[in-house]
Amino acid sequence: MSSGTPLLQLINIVKRFGAVVALKGVSLTVNRGEVVGLVGDNGAGKSTLAKIIVGYHQPDSGKIIFEGREVRFRSPADARRMGIEIVYQDMALVPYMSVYRNLFLNREIVKKFGPFTFLDKKKMKELTRQLLADIGIKHRDPDVEVGKLSGGERQSIAIARAVHFGAKLVILDEPTSALSIRESERVLEYVKQLKSKGISVIMISHNIYHVYSVADRIVVLDRGVKILDVPRDTATPEEIIDVIAHRLDPKKIQERVSRAERVPA
Amino acid sequence: MVLSFESLSSRLSSLRRIRELGVFISIVAMAIVFSALNPKFVSAPSFAAMLSMAAELGIVAIGVAFLMIAGEFDLSVGSVYAASSMLAAWLINMGMPFAVAFLAALGLAACIGYANAVITIKGGIPSFITTLGMMWFIRGILLAVTGGFPVVVQRSCPALSFLAAPIAGGFRISGIWFVILAILFQIALMNTAYGNWVQAVGGAPETARALGIDVARVKTINFILCSIMAAFSGLIALSHFQVVEPVAGQSLPLEAIAAAVIGGCSLMGGVGTIAGAALGAFLVGEIRVGLILAGAPAYWYIGFVGILLIVAGIINLRLTKRV
Repeated sequence: MSSGTPLLQLINIVKRFGAVVALKGVSLTVNRGEVVGLVGDNGAGKSTLAKIIVGYHQPDSGKIIFEGREVRFRSPADARRMGIEIVYQDMALVPYMSVYRNLFLNREIVKKFGPFTFLDKKKMKELTRQLLADIGIKHRDPDVEVGKLSGGERQSIAIARAVHFGAKLVILDEPTSALSIRESERVLEYVKQLKSKGISVIMISHNIYHVYSVADRIVVLDRGVKILDVPRDTATPEEIIDVIAHRLDPKKIQERVSRAERVPA
Repeated sequence: MVLSFESLSSRLSSLRRIRELGVFISIVAMAIVFSALNPKFVSAPSFAAMLSMAAELGIVAIGVAFLMIAGEFDLSVGSVYAASSMLAAWLINMGMPFAVAFLAALGLAACIGYANAVITIKGGIPSFITTLGMMWFIRGILLAVTGGFPVVVQRSCPALSFLAAPIAGGFRISGIWFVILAILFQIALMNTAYGNWVQAVGGAPETARALGIDVARVKTINFILCSIMAAFSGLIALSHFQVVEPVAGQSLPLEAIAAAVIGGCSLMGGVGTIAGAALGAFLVGEIRVGLILAGAPAYWYIGFVGILLIVAGIINLRLTKRV
């Protein structure tokens, strides 16, 4: 459990859906406080990998090691309890429910009244107000329906929820895809704050430039196989795009890392 | 000026958040119309009649709304209503104590609700189809077993009679059950963690699942509760009339859904309240009584309910973009 051990290690993860092999033995390491950009074309297996990490899917084979111990998540609730949270593109929050009900969904603050437990609405609303102020969403009532908020506000609230509940690893699935440029900037700024708090992030995005602005490491998946895993500064965003589009051999970039590693040794 | 406009608009938006507002306004509007037609409309006895008429439908509507908010339908409530009260009548006629008949009726309903849940969830088919099938299946059994004849309670059973006994001034105990159950379910929906899950499961099942809520479990519990409520309503009818027809409650499923929608529930799930559904059922009772007092043939009422349902649908759409 020293800070030297990686937070999360995936070893040879395989996942099949019927005849389709979505992941063909993917290994991945995420260190503490590290932001990993997970990129790849549609159908590369990014979302499947994310859903396996959070217990939404179970791998057919392979190991998941979290904080040095092998884990097996049977449901997202298991992963959440360990401190792994995912913020989905469009399904992080329930649009018809108020902000405070969303923030505490399945983690409701309750008070006892005889044999019954009731929601402690006052406390939840108070904490919600604080949290909204912390992430710079002003003049918003905790009672307002989430569906009435902007996409950026929703994304920020979903991330803030993960942080509030002590997440150690936050997975962001296309956090900026539905946002305006200014809203994207705010969310990316927010991702940097997570890193500064020592929280690890896996960011899945089609927007390589957004990934570049926050990631420490870039991982490229291609049809269920990891074809590249390098520190961000090893390659330019354009080169990564070329790798994803099969215009550039990933080995050429991977070689740079091996060379760089050999020099100090 | 700007400030007052802002406070006004925020007040308006908090008013719009009250889903029951539409049905409440309808109840008041109908009261004004009917009292103009017959001044006797605004009186304790007519209120008592409305509450008694609303009780049976209302208790079913509470369960249906609770399930609808979790994103599922139950069209079998009318058949459950008839089947469970018929089982109770048989058991009472066989000399069983009321408690046994009562629990057996609710137990049968719970089993049917559980079957609805398992078929819908494991089978992956829409509950509309599951419960439509269940509705005909149970109704078919009832008609076949009884040969179409009603089952009459053949001995005095005070405990059964108590369920819907008259109190005073036209009020019945069934009205009290209705109000108590509406309050309990409303509290469960709005003030407990479970109620939060129900809303999430119906509003965005994938999100609920991603946040670790056991979607199947919540839906199963609500299917069972909905079915039990229908059985309880059937027992109240048995208490009231001491007889159960094999065709009893045939219009109940759609009327209960109508009451829920009039009260602000969405057919798509995730939206609505129990208070709204209960008020929706009360509005139906109000229209029945109002039309009788106005001297109109009783058959008119269902036409009224039809118009009301459409208007409610349009209002709900404007409020939350979810009907």
